Amino acid sequence: MTFFHFINCVAVSYVPYVLIYRTSGLQEYSVFWKCVQAGAAYLFTQLCKMLVLATFFPVYDSSSSFDFVGELMKCTIDIADLVGLHLVMTKLVAKGQMKFLVAGLGWAGAELLVTRFIPLWVGARGVEFDWKYMQMSFESNINLIHNVIVATLVWLYSRYYLHKALLPLVVGFLFLSVYRPIVIQILIQCFSLGSWSLLLSKALFTLSIGLITLEIYLTQSTESNSYH
Amino acid sequence: MFVHDAGAVIEMFKNSFPYSLIYFIPLLVIIAPTNPVSAAQEFAVYRMQHFDLQNTVYGSRGALVNVEARSIDARMLTRRCVLAKLAEVTAEKIRDMLTQNAAGIMIILPAKLWEMGKEDQDHLLNLEKELMSEEISMPIYFTTTTEEIEKIYNDVKVAVNSDQSPSAAEAIIKSASANGYQIVINGANVRAMNDYQLTNIHAKLTGNGVEEQLPTIALVAHYDSTGIAPGLAKGADSNASGVIALLEIARLFSKLYSSSRTHAKLNIVFLLSSAGKFSYQGTKRWIEEQLESGENTLLQDVSVVLCIDSIGKGNAINMHVSKPPKEFSSAHAILNLLESVSAENGIQATMIHKKINLANEFLAWEHERFSIRRIPAVTLSAYETHKGSLRQSILDTRENVDVSVLSRNIRILAEVLGRYAYGLTPKNNTEIIRDSLKVDEELVSSWLSVLTNESRAAQILHHKHHLVHSLYYTLNKYLKDAKKTYIKADKRDPEFIFYDGHEYVVNIYSIKPAVFDLFLAVAIAGYLGALYLFLAVKFQHRIQDNAPYITKH
Repeated sequence: MTFFHFINCVAVSYVPYVLIYRTSGLQEYSVFWKCVQAGAAYLFTQLCKMLVLATFFPVYDSSSSFDFVGELMKCTIDIADLVGLHLVMTKLVAKGQMKFLVAGLGWAGAELLVTRFIPLWVGARGVEFDWKYMQMSFESNINLIHNVIVATLVWLYSRYYLHKALLPLVVGFLFLSVYRPIVIQILIQCFSLGSWSLLLSKALFTLSIGLITLEIYLTQSTESNSYH
Repeated sequence: MFVHDAGAVIEMFKNSFPYSLIYFIPLLVIIAPTNPVSAAQEFAVYRMQHFDLQNTVYGSRGALVNVEARSIDARMLTRRCVLAKLAEVTAEKIRDMLTQNAAGIMIILPAKLWEMGKEDQDHLLNLEKELMSEEISMPIYFTTTTEEIEKIYNDVKVAVNSDQSPSAAEAIIKSASANGYQIVINGANVRAMNDYQLTNIHAKLTGNGVEEQLPTIALVAHYDSTGIAPGLAKGADSNASGVIALLEIARLFSKLYSSSRTHAKLNIVFLLSSAGKFSYQGTKRWIEEQLESGENTLLQDVSVVLCIDSIGKGNAINMHVSKPPKEFSSAHAILNLLESVSAENGIQATMIHKKINLANEFLAWEHERFSIRRIPAVTLSAYETHKGSLRQSILDTRENVDVSVLSRNIRILAEVLGRYAYGLTPKNNTEIIRDSLKVDEELVSSWLSVLTNESRAAQILHHKHHLVHSLYYTLNKYLKDAKKTYIKADKRDPEFIFYDGHEYVVNIYSIKPAVFDLFLAVAIAGYLGALYLFLAVKFQHRIQDNAPYITKH
């Protein structure tokens, strides 16, 4: 397609980040630098994950059948992301309740930059038209919400005042978000979803977890405002 | 604010520039998912003929295409490439496209050409003839149909019909939602192959006695094929059948001549000539070479030249001559033998007389090249006339030839030649080609498969081509001293110029019209606007709600 199409895709994938940054009040705190640091932490975490994957997980022949155990192991490595996010929130972003927002935004922003920009640059500008670049852009919006939610969940998990009854819920959600790729794979396998319905189900999945997490967060943050 | 923040990042890069690069670039390379697969369709397409003969340009000169596809019914074809099925294409349509300045046409041929009905075959033959009669600047491509092409073709067809919507708004919506296709044929532009070499292969079977005093007979068959697209020209009947006949006769007579009891008092010269479809350029140059070489020539005292062309089907063998043979001449004797042997096999043999038309750039039959130089020559063919036949068509595929008919005809020719060699008269019908000397039908069939497996257009059969080599090898195996002679067009005044680019790869990309991008941009603006409003309201609410939240620490 044309350069115009590329601009369209970039607008869909990047503008929501800017909007959140500007409207959420992060701008007033001048935490841009912190976001960049969170992004750098993301890159470092990915590097560590890849080293582990390359060392301990041999590449199986990409046969047609869906290798459940292999995928499960790979997703387990994604727990490193949670550790990374936690470290970002405790070490890098010193103060403020919005640290999960800063960490989530920086994390998602770095992911967007390294996993979306080159495919868009190569693909969306190519001659061939394909909806997948538009879908990829929308998916990056979903990923933004997803990353902010994960950051919130990690933050909630480390609260000492977190209500005991809510802990299993938070841990369950953390697991769900870590094993999200597997859930998606199973969805594709079972219902043979098309690319649009898959995108929609991802959005619904993320939004429903997001709403519940937001509810937990609101109830908790009214109880205490400090982070030790 | 934002700018200020960005300044901090730039500052960081400035301070630790080389180190940050070491950190970031490999990460970018590693993490970014590679190879966003391009869903483009790829097909092989065959370009139309393109050559110069005696300074006249024939065929289509263009090659490269990079435009949108249209169906042949579309009203506007300017700078568009037409995707059409063979049945829809007519010479008038192509002329109309030329005046409209269309970028090219891709003609979809049915998968099995030989299974087309008689009418469709005639249509193709006519189209081939009409397209070849003039010089065309637009690229013309041929391709065989597949499922994917069929789908693209249907999509293109539907998109055109949406042009004729009742209202303008409907037309815009339809055109925005329609699937377009971009046809891209890239590569080097077509170049003349200036140093292209053609190969004649000849060999001689020497008779019993003093070689110079014996009569000589020559067997000639051109081995190239032609058709509207060189890449698709299989040329089974014309002239794989002639080549096989020549090889088979060479095999049989090499056996006969190997024994002193059956060694006839006759020299036989075999010639496989190239570029026969280009007014017999190979034969022409071979005759010139032989006549100029002085004393020791193969054409010395040649009593008759027998050219073989298209004997793979039908129930007749015709002997084409430029001048009726005189009584007691060798040609006359051959004709008499042919008539009697054919009658024994239950088919007809007739002599057809046609004067050479020197005004025509293309000679009708191969023997005319010899007749022009006053060498007695005839052409043996199943066809009654040189016009309107499959001899210059891509329809001449293996299915066009009946192996049993071809074998029978080869046996008749070999028998005629044998009786002539031993001086038998038509009354004396002793069978010569029999028992261990039988024509091997299996060999004929496998040769036919080999020769029609790929295109044998003269532009493709260069002097190092494996088919040229295997023909030479086979003739050499039977006759020992086969020779190759190479022909190049004259540098200053070339008789023929061939061009490369017979086969291209076309990429067909699915695309959307420019209007679609505009629609998409509006929709995206709406989405982002809504998002902004939602976020603004949401966070405003939170900020007012939660006082400590905005307290700076």
